Amino acid sequence: MRAVFGDSERKLLKSVIIIVISLVVFVLIWWALSAAFPSEYFPTPYDVGVAFIDSFQNPDPNTGVTMWQHMSQSLVRFIWGFALALALALPIGLLMGFSNVAESFGKPIVEIIRPIPPIAWAPFFFIVAGLFWGPVMPVFLGAFFPILSNVVFGVKSVDPLLLDAARTQGAGKPTLFTKVILPSTIPYLMTGIRIGLGIGWMCIVAAEMIVAIGGGVGLYIRTMADVGRYDYMFAGMVVIAILGILTTELSGYIERRASKWMGMK
Amino acid sequence: MDGNEVVLSIRDLHKSFKKDDSELVAIEDFSLDIKDGEFVCVLGPSGCGKTTLLRIIAGLEKLTGGKILLNNKEITGPGSDRGMVFQEFGLFPWRTVRKNIEFGLEIRKMPKEERRKISDKYIELVGLEGFETSHPYELSGGMKQRVGIARALANDPAILLMDEPFGALDAQTRNLMQKELLRIWSETKKTVVFITHSVDEAVYVADRVVVMSARPGKIRYIFNVEWERPRDRASVEFASLRKKILAELEKEAVTNR
Repeated sequence: MRAVFGDSERKLLKSVIIIVISLVVFVLIWWALSAAFPSEYFPTPYDVGVAFIDSFQNPDPNTGVTMWQHMSQSLVRFIWGFALALALALPIGLLMGFSNVAESFGKPIVEIIRPIPPIAWAPFFFIVAGLFWGPVMPVFLGAFFPILSNVVFGVKSVDPLLLDAARTQGAGKPTLFTKVILPSTIPYLMTGIRIGLGIGWMCIVAAEMIVAIGGGVGLYIRTMADVGRYDYMFAGMVVIAILGILTTELSGYIERRASKWMGMK
Repeated sequence: MDGNEVVLSIRDLHKSFKKDDSELVAIEDFSLDIKDGEFVCVLGPSGCGKTTLLRIIAGLEKLTGGKILLNNKEITGPGSDRGMVFQEFGLFPWRTVRKNIEFGLEIRKMPKEERRKISDKYIELVGLEGFETSHPYELSGGMKQRVGIARALANDPAILLMDEPFGALDAQTRNLMQKELLRIWSETKKTVVFITHSVDEAVYVADRVVVMSARPGKIRYIFNVEWERPRDRASVEFASLRKKILAELEKEAVTNR
């Protein structure tokens, strides 16, 4: 029997082939570049692959732990920072979106702090918040603002017709808030979360490079650079790339599911 | 109620908006009594304040003079004793058909089984069986408005307020929905205030057609339509009444130029 491909399968196959070609070209360029430079500074994809596998199997002599532990350290910090950002940005955003006074009050403070790169706070947080919270705080700042501004925008974008409809159904202010404003804001919240995850992830790695102690992928990369093991340094970067792709995909998936659940495809 | 009782009484209604320094009078000297079970259409040129009138009855806007009584009680704000149907539907996109219809019941903390009974009843009444778990984006315009009507009726309101409810629908769906609305009306015996700018629609559905003048909105003329339903759009009397109403509206357009 002949295999029959539908249109959607053919499309999927096509995009998979293009992705594979793209990755192959990427590795080839990498290989060519690594051949052009001294190999101890610029390891080949193969060297990095070996280092990558090794980093998971054997603890590295400088920190005494495996990549698994570095990863989990980074993830724990990341989750704390992100959870804190979400827990504060959501209620503050709802309040600022709902009340003009709260917005007028909050906006100047937000506008002062927002332009400062979260990483610029890292040394300060390291001093005042200590070894654990030091690198957590830049994640918090990095994720806080995109969530906040999306939630504020979401509350302001609530369809006035839906508010009218709810009021004619007998809804008072608390009901309007929980049954109309909150659900309408969820897709915006999801967008904020997706952007916040991306920024937060960059912040954790950068912050760990500056201040982390005990473990973390950022710390791992810096340590390997310090001792001149560039193949292991690159392996750390690959780990970050993979985890970054996973978080982006996961949040994209959640965002799509949420908007489908919300009936706002 | 014996069918002659006044459900809604609008007395010397006045509504003006402040615009910069001047005052814009939208409605003045508007008095109207609507009887139980009556189907009243309010017709007028655009900008005559007919939607504002309905929003005031719904309690979504405050009046600036006069008063409105619903079953002898003055209206002070929105409430579920008046069901409202919107031109653009106003359905909650994240709620299913059933959950949209149960919205008002849910607010009143009615137990789930009771809610379900009521929503079942109205889903059947508007002909949405099989779509209970659909979301609004999966429905056509006509079906969306069926949900809108069911949602408004589910609270068992004293009066149904409809703001150009079929204005967003194509002509064919519109005619079908007019028939459906008349069927629902005769089954529920609800009092209806229906805003439209279509003379044809008004003559087809209403017991009384209230023609409003352009700004400021006043009652210009009231036509009683006492024919049996369903009415024949192609009949001579239908055409002649339509012509008469159109002439009234036209005068309005001319005097306000």
